[in-house]
Amino acid sequence: MRPRVLAWLMVCAAVARGEEPSFQLDVMPILSKASCNGGGCHGAIAGKAGFRLSLFGYDPASDYLTITREARGRRVDLQEPGASLLLTKPTTALPHKGGKRLDVGSDDYQTIADWIEAGCPSPLANEKKLVGIDLGPRESTAAPGQTVTLAVTARYDDGSTRDVTRWARFTSADETVSMVDPAGSVSVIGHGAGAVTAWFSSQIAVANIISPFPHAVSPATYTSAPRANVIDELNLAQLAQLHLKPSPPCDEATFLRRAFLDTIGRLPTPEEVREHLADRSPKKKERLVALLLARPEFVDYWAYKWSDILLVTGAKLRPKAVDAYYGWIRDRVAENMPWDQFVREVVTSRGSSLEHGATNFFAVHQDPETVAENVAQAFLSLSINCAKCHNHPLEKWTNDQYYSFANLFARVRAKGWGDGAREGDGARTLFVESRGDLLQPKTGKPRPPAPLDAEPLPMDDTGDRREPLARWLTSPDNPYFTRAIVNRVWANFFGVGLVEPVDDLRSTNPASNEKLLAVLSTFTKEQGYDLKALMRLILLSETYARSSMPEPENRDDRRWFSRAYPKRLMAEVLADAIADVTGVRERYTEVVRADGSTEKVGGYADARAIGLRDSAVKNAFLDTFGRNPREITCDCERSNQPSLVQVLNLSNGSTLNDKLAAKAGWITQTLATEPSPQQLVVDAWVRVLSRTPTDAERKPFEEMLTAAKPEEKRGIVEDMYWALLTSREFLFRH
Amino acid sequence: MLEFQVGRAGERAVLCGSGATRRDFLHVGALAAVGLSLPQYARAASEGKVRPGCEKRSCIMIFNLGGPSNMDLWDMKPDAPAEIRGPFKPIRTKSDAFEVSELLPKHAAIADKFSLVRSCHHDGAAVHDAGWQIMQTGRRFTGGIQTPHAGSVASYLLGRRTDLPPFVVLPEIMGRGGGNLPNGQAGGFLGKAQDPFALMADPSRPNFRVPDLLPPDQISVARLDRRRKMREIVEGAATQFEASEDARLLDENFQAAYRLMTSPQAREAFDLAKEPQAVRERYGINRFGQCCLLARRLVENGVRFVTINTFLTVFDEITWDIHGSKPFTSIEGMKNIVCPMYDQAYSALIEDLHQRGLLEDTLVAGLSEFGRTPKVNPAGGRDHHPQCFTCSFAGGGVKGGRAIGESDTIGAFPAERPVRPGEIVATIFHSLGLDHQMHLPGPAGRPFALTDFGTDPIKELFA
Repeated sequence: MRPRVLAWLMVCAAVARGEEPSFQLDVMPILSKASCNGGGCHGAIAGKAGFRLSLFGYDPASDYLTITREARGRRVDLQEPGASLLLTKPTTALPHKGGKRLDVGSDDYQTIADWIEAGCPSPLANEKKLVGIDLGPRESTAAPGQTVTLAVTARYDDGSTRDVTRWARFTSADETVSMVDPAGSVSVIGHGAGAVTAWFSSQIAVANIISPFPHAVSPATYTSAPRANVIDELNLAQLAQLHLKPSPPCDEATFLRRAFLDTIGRLPTPEEVREHLADRSPKKKERLVALLLARPEFVDYWAYKWSDILLVTGAKLRPKAVDAYYGWIRDRVAENMPWDQFVREVVTSRGSSLEHGATNFFAVHQDPETVAENVAQAFLSLSINCAKCHNHPLEKWTNDQYYSFANLFARVRAKGWGDGAREGDGARTLFVESRGDLLQPKTGKPRPPAPLDAEPLPMDDTGDRREPLARWLTSPDNPYFTRAIVNRVWANFFGVGLVEPVDDLRSTNPASNEKLLAVLSTFTKEQGYDLKALMRLILLSETYARSSMPEPENRDDRRWFSRAYPKRLMAEVLADAIADVTGVRERYTEVVRADGSTEKVGGYADARAIGLRDSAVKNAFLDTFGRNPREITCDCERSNQPSLVQVLNLSNGSTLNDKLAAKAGWITQTLATEPSPQQLVVDAWVRVLSRTPTDAERKPFEEMLTAAKPEEKRGIVEDMYWALLTSREFLFRH
Repeated sequence: MLEFQVGRAGERAVLCGSGATRRDFLHVGALAAVGLSLPQYARAASEGKVRPGCEKRSCIMIFNLGGPSNMDLWDMKPDAPAEIRGPFKPIRTKSDAFEVSELLPKHAAIADKFSLVRSCHHDGAAVHDAGWQIMQTGRRFTGGIQTPHAGSVASYLLGRRTDLPPFVVLPEIMGRGGGNLPNGQAGGFLGKAQDPFALMADPSRPNFRVPDLLPPDQISVARLDRRRKMREIVEGAATQFEASEDARLLDENFQAAYRLMTSPQAREAFDLAKEPQAVRERYGINRFGQCCLLARRLVENGVRFVTINTFLTVFDEITWDIHGSKPFTSIEGMKNIVCPMYDQAYSALIEDLHQRGLLEDTLVAGLSEFGRTPKVNPAGGRDHHPQCFTCSFAGGGVKGGRAIGESDTIGAFPAERPVRPGEIVATIFHSLGLDHQMHLPGPAGRPFALTDFGTDPIKELFA
């Protein structure tokens, strides 16, 4: 078949450059766009129908050989390009199980035909290289029903560019806002903001589609809204863009409760509530925040959070190792060690697992691959495990990068590893060997060790490869590290991350407010990774202080922070709050091992749930309310979702009922002082909900208590507390 | 709206039992249950939605976590080379259409009651949780949209039939599958209100009880009622929660919980001690066996959809995931625990349903996330293979003893009548009497057909 010269001249970029088509620059993008190398087709590990391509074309050299040399050369016919299997199959001239992928005579067809006719030139070493792609327009505003047309431009290392829209693949991150077709045409279907991602030759770019809500909000609403710092500036700018109305500030009692729960994981005591509400000084909010950040419970709460990420669990470690690991984390939180230093010390830890607790990070999972995955997930919020078997489907991580990264940990060893982390007393000594490499299984050869997209280290360097890793990880230029921790801290205070899921910072998953995340990342770097500075900024912002009461103009908001989002208390905080209100502590006495057996443990006699070192401590309430079992590094392990099982537990379970009925506890104690009905009711509200009751709330309870026979009184008080402790106002931080 | 009426009916009934004992409480609960007139709602809700004659239909979905080896169980290749065919031999069955593995003698004896679809495949990743979501919802999650479990769809469209929840998962929701992906065992875009009720207990344990199903002894009927009224006063002012899905759901859960704990039928349904010991043993005294028995009791008591997870995860225990390398077992290893357990419980369930006249209205669908690679790997196991695997169907209008679809000579790809996950889910909807082209309200008001256009039930199973 002869090329149709005219059409060919008009569209074929290869001709425009005056060159013959290039396998890598011209042919491969066509195969990718047609999904020939997708995981369901010839990109599958086993290939399809005897034809195997590298997944999404990550290995052009091997694909070239497969196409030109395998199948006795029938895939390409240099004399008669149109008779090549590479063309007869996708056009279904010959039967093709994958159906029709290419039209005879189309531009893409011609490009492949020309490449074959030119003698199938191989990928050249000195060929120009793709350095990146741009997707434009980067931000568009449109209403439902309207269409936005996107264009993808490839940039090459010789400075040239090329429109590659036709060969790019598009995905919409939020199909409730917009849908995108294969040509890059975006149809807006809903309100909000959503990203559209373009993929071309393992490069990714993101465009933002903004579709304002149909609310009439006057500009003055935004200019007159209270603002305390940069968070409010950037948040209000976005709300104005989306036509979402900011809710007014919450009242002081709500703010107090919210700040306590989010910062130190406990309720304010009745005295603290009364004191705060009576305080009329102008700087009371600043004082409250400073006080909370300095409280000893701050250490409990945040040590617990970091223990979730670092997988402190007796299911995998011996009790002494758990103690040392948790103790190390706790001491660092207590001294407010900057986050970058904290992470450097974890990833470069060595020595005795009992003296240097951080080394247990390497004991929980001992193989270099899992360590690498955990480092990426915990400190960069990147999930790289897809790249273990193939190039990450929609990310830039390749299979080779994965093994380069994992090879950084190939020389980490410890005396006593291999018998399992659960053997013996937990004492291990971590050291780093000067030789040894992890093999990339595809080639049987090691990959040069490299921190993800950084330059590789020399293979023959005998130094600890984790040192350069730690420098790269925490370098101010690392684009993931700071965003990851800022997003985790933000999500703690707002219940929703700027990026959701909280630990998924893939480039195809942008933040709901990219500018805000960038500014907070810069701020955190400037503050030397003092996370308390970031927390202070958040706590003092007006955005944080907004009411959770929805307004007609913001009730559909789920991620732009126009109002506070009610969030069910985390399991441990809830357990402690119930214990604090009732004055009856929970008993934690056993640990559940990985095999399901249990073991008695001491040291938790009067522990608060948030003070538990070990997620394997047996407790049905914490399990029911979704504590993080710390089996893998993933925020998805914790569940704050209400379920029927939880409600049955609150209604009929022993945790709440036994505490209400306990002989020694707050209810017994307060009834002994023979308080008036009014006193009983007000006390209960302040104790449980951190506020005083309204008249409508107070009166029916006072009447019941006044009319009660003496022997009925206790039951009524218990039931009043039950009603308060099962109310949403208590179970949620709001 | 219905929730409100139910609450009122319950309240009225409980009021007259002031000062009553727990025994009375349960009795009063029984009256309340009679007064609920739920079938009316079910009828109204399902008007025009359920095919006549299918009103009593239920589904038990057995989800075989790990991915059973089609090549060694239901789709053997005795003529293939040794590295393909594996160590086991096929045996004759009560069906002329297919043989099964010698590992499944009890399946063979009831092969006239179930049918096999041997050409299932999907194009999702060969990762456990990817297959879980695709097979249970019929779709791969894309664009941030999580599609609902087939049971959640039934629950949404048909509501509950009795005091019991419409959709129950036994013994608990699937655990991790290695890919950190949503497992599809949830309501998805239909909302968490359509999430299944998960048992969260092992019914084979001695003294098994549903955790916290009944109030503690000191809480009389009068107190229970008082608590409810008090809670309503406290909740009265809480308008800030109306825009929060989680908070709304919590309140709905309080109503559902109250219904469940005051229902003698619910207590009865979950009480395995009511079964003769011989029946319990017939299913096998192990977690999966007793879950199958419990599923039968739940269906008898009006639950529309029960999903049984054969295992809790693919880690920490021996499952269908036979990679051969440690900690997984090899192909050989299946004969020790997994196959005898499955063979016994599955056959007991089918026979028991049949003997009780329930099979005709109960679809039992045996699904998995994928099958295994045709070629035995060097460790004596087989690896993940979504390109071709077998699912089983019995009851609920399905004719037994048939083999639908064919795999190629080595079980690598479908050779005849390839079946996609959407078609399997459509088959479940069809058995329940639901039109699979009916629309659900999707995210942002987008209509979402139960299954994608052109995805039809496997009609040959019913003809």
